[in-house]
Formats: sequence, C-alpha cells, structure tokens
Amino acid sequence: MPDRLTEGLIDLLRPLLAVLLGLAVGAVAIWATGHPVGEAYAALWNGAFGNRTFLGSTLARSSTIALAGLGVAVAFRAGALNLGGEGQLALGGLAAALFTIYVPLPGPLPLVAGLLAGAAGGALWALLPAWLEVRFRVQLLISSLLLNYVAVYSASYLVSVPFRDLSGGGALAQTRLIPEAARIALLPGTRMHAGILITLALSLVLWFVMMRTVTGYEWRMTGLNPDFARYGGVDRVRALVTAMLVSGAVAGLGGAIEVMAVYHRYIDGNLTRPGFAWSGLMAALLADNHPLGVLLAAFLLGVIQVGSTGMERTTQIPLEISSVVQAVIVLFVSVRIGADLLRRFRGRRAARG
Amino acid sequence: MADLFDIQLLHMTLRTVVPVLLAALGGALCERAGLFNVALEGMMLAGAFGAVVGSFFLGGAGWGVLAAIAAATAIGLILAVLSLNLRANEIVVGISLNLLVVGLTTFLMRVVLGATGTFHHPDLQGLPQWSPEWLQAVPVLGRLLSGHTPVVWAAYLAVPILTYFLFQTTIGLRLRAVGEHARAAQTLAVNPLRMQYLAVVLAGVLTGLAGAQLSLGQVRIFQENMTAGRGFIALVAVIFGRAHPTGVLLASLLFGLIDALGIRLQGVGLPSQVTGLLPFVVTLLTLVALRGRGLNRQGTA
Repeated sequence: MPDRLTEGLIDLLRPLLAVLLGLAVGAVAIWATGHPVGEAYAALWNGAFGNRTFLGSTLARSSTIALAGLGVAVAFRAGALNLGGEGQLALGGLAAALFTIYVPLPGPLPLVAGLLAGAAGGALWALLPAWLEVRFRVQLLISSLLLNYVAVYSASYLVSVPFRDLSGGGALAQTRLIPEAARIALLPGTRMHAGILITLALSLVLWFVMMRTVTGYEWRMTGLNPDFARYGGVDRVRALVTAMLVSGAVAGLGGAIEVMAVYHRYIDGNLTRPGFAWSGLMAALLADNHPLGVLLAAFLLGVIQVGSTGMERTTQIPLEISSVVQAVIVLFVSVRIGADLLRRFRGRRAARG
Repeated sequence: MADLFDIQLLHMTLRTVVPVLLAALGGALCERAGLFNVALEGMMLAGAFGAVVGSFFLGGAGWGVLAAIAAATAIGLILAVLSLNLRANEIVVGISLNLLVVGLTTFLMRVVLGATGTFHHPDLQGLPQWSPEWLQAVPVLGRLLSGHTPVVWAAYLAVPILTYFLFQTTIGLRLRAVGEHARAAQTLAVNPLRMQYLAVVLAGVLTGLAGAQLSLGQVRIFQENMTAGRGFIALVAVIFGRAHPTGVLLASLLFGLIDALGIRLQGVGLPSQVTGLLPFVVTLLTLVALRGRGLNRQGTA
C-alpha cells in the first residue's frame, strides 16, 4: 500500500514542517530584539537539556502538559469541545492538596488518596458542562470555557481565606504543606519525579481504551458522525458524559501530580499561570488527538517552555517568546486539518467519477 | 441595598459595558456572515496593546485608537485567511490566535515598552472625557451622560447604525445571506468571501475600539492579558442577543450591570474573587435560561 505509506509520511511531515515554521517565526522575533539567533536557540537547547536538573524540569512540565493534552484528546475524539482544562486541572490540584492535608490516612494511602481526589475533582468539574449540554442545551465549548474563570476565582478564594496557610505570617495565598507520605518522590538517581511514570502508563491505557475498546469506539463514532453513531445504537449522552468524566479526571490528575510532586502545596496561580491546560490543548491539536502523539507533542512544548526560561536567564530575551512560537506552530498545523478535509473531498469525488 | 443602585452605578455600567458591547457587535457581524469568531478576546487584547503603543510613541490618543484598530484588524485578517481561504477550523484558529496575542503582547510589552506585568507612564495620553456644559446642565441625564470618552458614544451609536446596515442596506442583506446560505448567495452573484472579509474588518474596527477603551479609556495602563475573558463574555452576548445589534446591546448591558455591581460590592468588603467570578456565573445562568434557544451553533451534537 504505497499510497497509505505516503499519506502517513505526509501526516508526520506536516507537524514537523509546522515546528520548523514556528521556530522560524521565533527566529525573526529574536532577531528583532537584536540578539544573535543561533546563540539564543543554543541557550534554549541548553536551558532544556543542559544538566540533569534542567532535564528534570523539562520532563516534569512535559508530563503535566501531556496529562492536560490527553484529557483534551479524549474529549475532542468524542466530539466534546472541552475547553475547561484550566479549571479541571486547578480544581484537581486543589482537591489533592486539601484531601491529603485534612484527611489523615496511614501508610502509603495518602499518595493514592491524593491522586484519586485530584482525578475526582477534575472529573466532577468536567461533568458540569456535560450536564449543562445534555439538560439545558448549553454549548459545551462555551460553558467549559466560562467555567474556567469560575473555577480559578473560586480556588483562589479558597486558598486566600478559609484554607490559607497562616504559619509564617501567611503572606502568600497558599495551603499548608501536604504530609510527607503524600509527596511524589524523585526517581532514584535522577532529577525527575515519579509522576512521569503515571503519565506514560496513562497514555498507553488511554490509547488502548480509545482504539481497542467498545467505549473508545463509541466515543470516536460520536465524534466523527453523531447521526451514524445514533443509528448504530450508540447512546450519545452516555458517550458524552463518560468522555467528559475521563477527560476531566486526566486533567485533574495532572493538577494533583503537579501539587504532590513539585510544590507540595496548592499555591494560588501556580497551576494556571504556566498555562498547562492551554499547552495541553495545543499538544492535542498537534497530535491530532492521538494519545501517544500527545506525549511527543507535550515533550516538544515542554522543551520550548523550559528552554525559553533558560534562554531568558542567559540572553534576556523575554520567555514569552515560547507562547508565540507555540501558537504559530498550532496555527500552521490547523491549516493541515483543512487540507485533510480537502483531501477527503477530492478522494470522494475521484471515487464517484 | 437601595444605595447600591444610583446614578453613579448606572454611569459606571454605561462605561464598563463598552468593551464587551463593541466586541460583541463585531462578533455579531461575523456571526451574521457565517463566521464563529472565537478570536474576539485576542483581537480586543491586540487593540488594547496597540492603543497604548500608538498613544505613547506617536503622542496622542487619536493615534492610539488608529493603532488599536490596525492591531485588532491584523489579528482578524489572520483568522480570515486561515479559516476562510485555507479552510482551517475557525475554532482552532480562534483559540490559537487568543493564545498568540497573550504571548505576543507580553513579549512586545517587555521588548518595546520595557515593562513587565503592567505598563504605565505619566506621558501616556488617555482618551478625552467629554462633558460639555450644556449637557451637564440637564438634570439626571446630564450626570449620566457626561464624562464619557468618544469611544463610549461611538459604541452606543454603533447599535442603530449597524441595525440599519444589516437590515436596511443591500450590502447588509448580502452579508446576512452569506451567513444563512453561502451557496444560494453565490448563485445571486454575491461573493461570500468578500462579505466575510467585510465582516472581519468591521469586527477589527469594533474590537480595536473596545481595546482602546479598555487601556486608554477606563484606565491609562496596559496590563498583561488585561481583557481577562471579556471577549468570551462578548461571545455569549452574541448568542444571547441572537446576533442582533439591539439584542447584543441588552445582553451586554445586563453583564455590564453585574460587573459594575461587583465592583461596587467589592467596596463594601466582598472578596475580589467573588466579584470576579460573578459576571461569568451570570453569563452561564443566562445560557441555562435560554436552553439552547439562542443561536443554533455547531456545538457537540
């Protein structure tokens, strides 16, 4: 099947081309600040891979982006335009922090409980827009987006007033530290935390669920063609609700791991300011919602983000350049989606003629 | 409770609602031409930044307004080229553009204005506030209507003008026809692309003005991501107001009143987070009350 091979190669080449174009736009921005482009990109590379600590933060950030992205991929595959990752991730992180702090459990249980609380927090928050869509026909795209603001403001209030850590003056809006037993450790001999393993395992599980199970098939059918899915006996409401639950749970887990492995407490703004959820969305778009592709895309975005922090340290080029490069990459990839449709259309016409 | 509602609250509402109203009018035009414009937020933010840069470097708020319109229109044109000519998904492009503008304006604020987080400068000229003596002499209305920037007046004038444009002119009819049924319009020799570009450019003007009012009218600063979701509230106002300028005005006024009330309540000790989430809760509740009877948009179904 040489045709399928070429098509597959094109599918791989397009994101690569988009990345190169994104870096080219970044180069123009760097050039405009008056810095040598080569030197700046070398600093970016060094910032992402320069030593074990840098590599550790690159992988940690990629891991959280990947979880946010996997959540988006599940929802998008099922045709649910879940833009609420930011709120789901933040509330997952907050749930993990509060549960482990206020519910004392013996042995290694706090670790498990924290992860589960995070997943539950994200899932419940994702259930709300699904319910609004099913019950009140409120577009999920809009409600999930607006609910981000509700979640982020609420979380901010909760850690600013009722759950604020007042020890040491309470100058910052943050919770107390979570107990030792609930913290995710670094992998022995490395600077990367063990949460990365959860991300890797979960992407495999989600790949299996999406591509090899009935539930996954129903999600994909609902996403591709809801009328056909209904004709085939798929319960649209069930597909929507389960996809949103899984989507929110995965994003919530991302927030929980970030809290339990990196900060060891919930700090106001720390799960929203780095833009994990939006980077995750970009990763899902880059990977065309393929769970394993999301891993790769998330790693790429993690490298760009952590690398640009390093670049700012050595060259004073503002790190926001990473947001510009990422957005440009996604814009170039988005054109591909249109090209695919065009290809399908031509194929159909050829088949008919 | 009674002293919460007074002339000053209404005055504040008339003013604070303007960015949302202008952006929503732009969104309504795009909607009518068959383009779901999620990039309103980014266009408005680009406008707010352009306004500050233009006013600061060219030394006048008028230049700021022009630069704001140029910046917002530029973002709109990217949306148009990618989603109309290159057939990219308009929602994906819109979201990406919003993220692009947040990054780009923050980056440029540091490079061009040398500021992090917030830019303010004593030489930065804001929009003039218009309070002629004859207007001030009018009882009640005088207090309500004086002290507003020209952009505020433009926003409210735009409502009848756009209503007339959409429903009484040939171009307006063609624009709506394209949104209703592009093919049918085409058979009547209407070029759909041209109408959609017209809508996007007009939306650029409107969101540019919205941004200018935000950074040079309400205050005289530029702040990282200062639109803070207003573009999304505008999107809901488009749906709630069924893409009709008058409907959009009423929806915006409702959201604006809540916003102004929130600021007022903050003064009596309500936490800023509560007043911050209030407009978003109200917009969600209006969507629930509509039960999908607003615009019939491509959702998940």
